[in-house]
Amino acid sequence: MATSFKLDTRTEDGYAVIQTDGYLNGPTAEQLAETAKDLMNQGYSTLVINLEKTRLVNSIGISILIEIIEFLDERGGGLHFCHLTPVIERTFKMMGLAQHAEIHRDEASATTNL
Amino acid sequence: MQSVSAEDTVQRLIFSLSEIEQLGETIISGRGNFNVSSRTYLRIIHGTLQVTRCAILLFQSTENHLTVEAAINVKAESLCIPVTADDIAAILESSTIDPSSPPPPLDNFFNQIRPQLELLDANLWAPLKIRDDFLGVISLGSFRTQDNLEDWNRELLPVLANQVSVAIAYSRLLDKTRAEQFRLFMLSDTATQICKSLDTEAVQEEAVTHAITLLDASTGGLLLINPVTQCLEMKSIFALDLQANIDLENLSIPLQTDQDAPSALSPLAEVATPAGETLICNSQGNGVLLDRRNLMAVPMRGREDTLGVLIVADKEGRGGTMLDFTNEDRVLLEAFANQAGVAIENAQLYQDALEGRQLQAEMDEAAKIQQNLIPDTLPEIPGYEATGLYFPRGGVGGDYYDCLADSNGSWGLAIADVSGKGMQAALLMATLRAGLHSEVTRKEDLPSMAESLNSLLYASSTSGKFATFFYAQLHPETDLMTSINAGHNYPLVIRGAGGCDELEKGGVMLGMFPNDVLSQISEYEQETTQLYSGDVVLFYTDGVTETINPEGDLYGEERLEEVATRVKSESVNQICQAIYDDVIEFQGEAQQFDDLTLLVLKKSNHPSC
Repeated sequence: MATSFKLDTRTEDGYAVIQTDGYLNGPTAEQLAETAKDLMNQGYSTLVINLEKTRLVNSIGISILIEIIEFLDERGGGLHFCHLTPVIERTFKMMGLAQHAEIHRDEASATTNL
Repeated sequence: MQSVSAEDTVQRLIFSLSEIEQLGETIISGRGNFNVSSRTYLRIIHGTLQVTRCAILLFQSTENHLTVEAAINVKAESLCIPVTADDIAAILESSTIDPSSPPPPLDNFFNQIRPQLELLDANLWAPLKIRDDFLGVISLGSFRTQDNLEDWNRELLPVLANQVSVAIAYSRLLDKTRAEQFRLFMLSDTATQICKSLDTEAVQEEAVTHAITLLDASTGGLLLINPVTQCLEMKSIFALDLQANIDLENLSIPLQTDQDAPSALSPLAEVATPAGETLICNSQGNGVLLDRRNLMAVPMRGREDTLGVLIVADKEGRGGTMLDFTNEDRVLLEAFANQAGVAIENAQLYQDALEGRQLQAEMDEAAKIQQNLIPDTLPEIPGYEATGLYFPRGGVGGDYYDCLADSNGSWGLAIADVSGKGMQAALLMATLRAGLHSEVTRKEDLPSMAESLNSLLYASSTSGKFATFFYAQLHPETDLMTSINAGHNYPLVIRGAGGCDELEKGGVMLGMFPNDVLSQISEYEQETTQLYSGDVVLFYTDGVTETINPEGDLYGEERLEEVATRVKSESVNQICQAIYDDVIEFQGEAQQFDDLTLLVLKKSNHPSC
């Protein structure tokens, strides 16, 4: 099973999209958080995280995602998730991420009303 | 140095009190992630105490280091300060510490960390603690408005430190609660989801990936017992690095270990034994099994037996740390493995049932084909009686018999047994029958016919498939019977006047070799037999003579000849029935796997016929 982790970033007018590819655990979620902070420092306070190629998230990954949400909250920004597997979507809802970040079916619906 | 008026001091005091209230509200707001809020706390301290630099250093208990969590005007944010248990005990004794004149037990400690203190420009430390639990320190630089803190500020610092300590403890508690919440959810949700899947490979893969996320591990794998080889075999792996000397994807560990020379992986085999228990290897920095930093292997049990071993490894903590597997982890993974084991067993049973149904459907179809190829009744041959019997036992074999009129007034009697069972055997038999019906009309001699059929079957069959075949050409007007035997059981000619002959002349079975190779081995030959009144010719397949009884004895040709001889004066139907009854009585309760096929020809006792 493939295990490498990759991040792709794309900036649009008023928001940025980060696409993850691989297991979102401590080290990889830290990479994601650093990328998110860099984008916030560049002025992108609205971020879309596309998890289409991520099937697994552990509790440390969840914890770091909560940090990203709180960072964005402090700066008046917002976080949007899209392309979640059913397990990850249920996990996000149960862990309270869905209360502070929006969950969308795909990138198009995530970015439509930004 | 600026002078501070009483009014300024009062203003700062009011500001500080409101900030402390703000701190408290931040802590109880529920958004208590210290990683996020640490800079806010530091800003409050920075503004309240009017320091040039300040930092929050957190104690990393796994490495016994203090590391910078948040800092203002400190460039060396990656610095780290080693700290011993004695140092910690001494730090906890004081509410504030001046690094330039520390209490005597800390002299050595502060002397050793001079470079780090310079980077921090540390003028004052305040420990962060909850009772005796050391969390870290607040380090303050020089003061903007005076050389030293005023008394009220010195008293304020421990209050701020206490608030920050509460925030850290709350953040950690929140992290722990979230982790526990996550684990419980994963255990209930994913285990339920796995049980819904009936795809064996998908269930195996999900068992591994969910176990990894459940335990915050980085890698893992699933080894299942192969009941045939009695080895643990790797079925699914996630992120286990392939080492030069171990092919993990094809890893196979014998369950029976050599006690004198156990392999490095024998402990995993022991986990899979009926009495096997969970194995936890915490390395404390050294490599353990499979070159992991730590590893836990739990037995995966089905309803009755142990199915294999579920492995998780390299448990991670926050900030890239590696944590030991605990007893709680063991309980959690065992619970998960039990559910995953049932799911894997269910998927396997479903797969088996599915394959069984497919196989049965194929066998039913093959049986229909075979039944259609065997004649319901045999034609009447002048001066002769003939009858056949096909009795399927334990599946569809490739038995075949036939009786067909030939173009020059003779009659053809055939019996054959195609190797294998099921659809493949039935189709090969259909090919043989079609070929035979075609060859009979071509008036060629029997060896030529056998060669043609051999060529046809060789081209039609896969490797290792062949047919034994016997064909007799009966001329009723002369009572001569010309025959060829391609590797089939020798038909018996039970003479009415006494004695028995075997029809053995022929050659190699059909479909085994191509004709050019066959010609180098042997040529097909035919033989001619004169039949007389009362003679019985008995064609049969090996399902008759290889019938076994409960003691494991073979029915055999001698017994067949005895029965046939005893009833030779009866009609062909009675002869056939007598042989069938004798075989069935012989087999008793023993299970048979080969079909029983007989073809009986008898020269009538009446010469006028």
